[in-house]
Amino acid sequence: MRRSSIRALAVPGVLVLLVVLVALAAPILPLADPVRQDVANRLSGPSAGHWLGQDEYGRDVLSRIIWGARVSLTVAAVAAALAAIVGTLLGILGGYFRGLVELVTVRVAEIVLCFPPLLLALLVVTLLGPGAGTLVFSLAILFAPGFARVAYAETLSARALDYVTAQQALGARTRRILFLTLLPNIAPPLIVQFSLTVAAAMVLESGLSFLGLGVVPPSPSWGLMIRGARASMEQAPLLLFWPCLALTGTVLVLNLLCDRLRDVLDPRGKAAGRPGFLGRLIALPPAPAPRQAPGLLTVDGLTLSVPGPKGPIEVVRDVGFTLAPGETLAIVGESGSGKTLTGLTVMGLLPAAVKPVAGSILFTGRDGRVRDLLRLPEPEMRSLRGRDLAMIFQDPSSSLNPLLRIGSQLAETLRAHGVRNGVRDRVIGLLRQVGLPDPERAADAYPHEISGGQRQRVMIAAAIANGPRLLLADEPTTALDVTVQAQILALLADLKRAEGGMGMAFVTHNLAVVGEIADRVLVMYAGEVVEEGPVADVFAAPRHPYTAALIASMPEGDAERLTAIPGAVPQPWAMPAGCRFAPRCTLAAEACRATAPALTEVAPGRSSRCLRWKEVA
Amino acid sequence: MLAFAARRLLVSLGLVWVVASLVFLVIHLIPGDPAELLLSQGGIAPDPAAVEELRERLGLNEPLWTQYLTYMGGLLRGDFGLSLQDEHPIAEEIALRLPRTLELVGMAGLLSVIFGVPLGIAAAMRAGGALDRILSAWAGFALSVPVFVVGTLAVLVLAQQLKLVSAGGYVPLARDPGRHLALLMMPAATIAVGLGAVVFRVMRSSVLEVLEREHVRAAQARGLAPAAIIRRHVLRNALTPVVTVVALHLGSLLGGTVLVEFVFNWPGLSGYLVRAVEARDYPEVLGIVLVISTLFVLLNFLVDLLYAVIDPRVRHG
Repeated sequence: MRRSSIRALAVPGVLVLLVVLVALAAPILPLADPVRQDVANRLSGPSAGHWLGQDEYGRDVLSRIIWGARVSLTVAAVAAALAAIVGTLLGILGGYFRGLVELVTVRVAEIVLCFPPLLLALLVVTLLGPGAGTLVFSLAILFAPGFARVAYAETLSARALDYVTAQQALGARTRRILFLTLLPNIAPPLIVQFSLTVAAAMVLESGLSFLGLGVVPPSPSWGLMIRGARASMEQAPLLLFWPCLALTGTVLVLNLLCDRLRDVLDPRGKAAGRPGFLGRLIALPPAPAPRQAPGLLTVDGLTLSVPGPKGPIEVVRDVGFTLAPGETLAIVGESGSGKTLTGLTVMGLLPAAVKPVAGSILFTGRDGRVRDLLRLPEPEMRSLRGRDLAMIFQDPSSSLNPLLRIGSQLAETLRAHGVRNGVRDRVIGLLRQVGLPDPERAADAYPHEISGGQRQRVMIAAAIANGPRLLLADEPTTALDVTVQAQILALLADLKRAEGGMGMAFVTHNLAVVGEIADRVLVMYAGEVVEEGPVADVFAAPRHPYTAALIASMPEGDAERLTAIPGAVPQPWAMPAGCRFAPRCTLAAEACRATAPALTEVAPGRSSRCLRWKEVA
Repeated sequence: MLAFAARRLLVSLGLVWVVASLVFLVIHLIPGDPAELLLSQGGIAPDPAAVEELRERLGLNEPLWTQYLTYMGGLLRGDFGLSLQDEHPIAEEIALRLPRTLELVGMAGLLSVIFGVPLGIAAAMRAGGALDRILSAWAGFALSVPVFVVGTLAVLVLAQQLKLVSAGGYVPLARDPGRHLALLMMPAATIAVGLGAVVFRVMRSSVLEVLEREHVRAAQARGLAPAAIIRRHVLRNALTPVVTVVALHLGSLLGGTVLVEFVFNWPGLSGYLVRAVEARDYPEVLGIVLVISTLFVLLNFLVDLLYAVIDPRVRHG
């Protein structure tokens, strides 16, 4: 367990321990008898003999609070333990054997969840009569299904894991698998559920006792004390205060412990950080006014970093490229190469954790002005987004809001950039332009009513709605069927021809697509540009071993056999000191491992980040 | 949409029938004789003759299926039988008290949503900020205070000490609408302390989760202003889990207002239930359980309809 987890658990843990210890120590503490009455001194205030005063029968309040903690904690803990044992057993059996066993264990247990909890507890009390035993029994029935559910869900996901299947294959006995292998692995969420249940059981126990249907007087119980003190509220309001404080305080520390436990044991549910877009998407401090930029987009020295356990990690380093009007640039690389982050930086849509630390992105807008997008304030950036700059994302099914009609999502794009009249007609026109068969019907459809390829057409329609200068496409065909992929690529090519002067940056890991659509290609590896040049030249004669290896691994290539690239992209926090590709490179020499090569021009319009580029076949 | 509603209604009616049958089975299949249990107060064995007389009166000596048909026939006519304590028709008493409980639950739900939803959104917008931390800490506290403690302390402070409101009670709406509402607000607000904290938490985490979704980033890429993104692309999507949670809690409140009704002397269904449980009046307890469970099923039906209104995908599912 990490030190931060221990610190998070320390405060509530110590407090819970304190409550438990005091309750356990009740018999050895020098306390007055909690049930001895002293009617002569009823309702008297705090005194040396009775620190918290005396109740309506003259009994010592402090003593009753501490003894009450014993009763409440015992009932809650025993009930929770019973529920945990029964519920976990049902859940594990149901999740492991499935089928009929699941029906008679988990599903039957869930019937209990269909009734309001207090109602069910009252039903049990009707059948068995009030008392501590009834309380434990009814609370256990109430809370067992919760454990069954958690254990069932966890067992379902754990039983398919390798270590369980391995044991089955080895012929281990089922009992052994269930209790020695499975149970320890599903324990963390069950521990959280247990602390949650103890707190809930305490609340229910005190509630029933408060109604007079729980713990039987004269046993001290916090619920009963509150019930009793209500009658003498006017004369002795403090009498009401103490048990309320004890009960609330105990439940509070239990809940706090439970929240912390959940964060430590089950980090999945931990709240995400601050959402990215509400503040600004990070603008760098202003720099000297941009000089006249060549072309449409000039990215220079772009470096992005994310916070890591040992200081910031550079996930994109010193990336630069230019894009001329009307040109299509393909940005190619494996997952983790930084190609998508580069695209998102241009749009100003980086996740909150990723920060640009250096570089500039000069963009020539429709008005002819040159802006540095890395330093543009958010309101100006927003007016460019969806108008001068547009982006198409990878998965069209998650890029559209499922709850709004397609036409309405296109219309809002037009309205956001000042279109007021004839919005509906323009929406229909856009849908027709991207080749949707029945544009009127499509405009009134919800996203789930059309196919994946058609959804991507809608996303393209939204992107070109305001006549962008630059279209960024982030793997727009990856999530689609192969036949649909070709149609979408053809559509993008058509649109670019129609919108003369629109530049396109096409992020992909698919080299076959690059050959079809792009003029120039930028190859990225581990956050760096490794090669850049015209598509035909790069394909014919790559000047970086990584590019060469990518081409060799293309199924459509002419190579007689496919070559896989050995190894994997290094993790961002464990980058090699020299060339980042050296560990996987067949040409790597001593010099490659010692010094990081710079991007050098190898021919007019072509560059490579390789010391031995001349030797690349 | 209409077909969807009709289909769901059929399923719900089927469930009501199952619940009614289950309730019938519970009374007849639990170990022990209801008549004997009723008469054995304080652990003293009852007089066999009295037990036999009661069995005869309750129709327990008939064959099980005759009893079932009689019982179901009674239910169809809205007849829940007579109270064992005072021979008063149970259906009449339920009809009198149920609206009061529904009113209390409805007002509590309304207050919780009115406070929980906007505050949850506000906290999510500035997650990690000062407002979020204060509200989240408050919610953690509010969730830990048992509802009868809130109610009792409210009576102590607001009614006894400050004399701002009366300690509880009930006045029919027709007699004095203002006073009726004033008396309703205290128990409703008491429930809303905890329920509002639940709504707040769910709304907050739901908004945070939707903000991370792809379509929000896509909307941003189209140049929409933050206010428009929140209104059109976050709120509606974030509402579904809140509807579920509120409905679930309102459902359990139908039988769970016991404590609050007790604290504030609100003469609702729950008070009737406690009285029935104390007297072990089986026909009463079962009638109340049946009504509450039926309402629970119908509430789920309404939630399904609400889902269909919020999310078009559900209508076709």
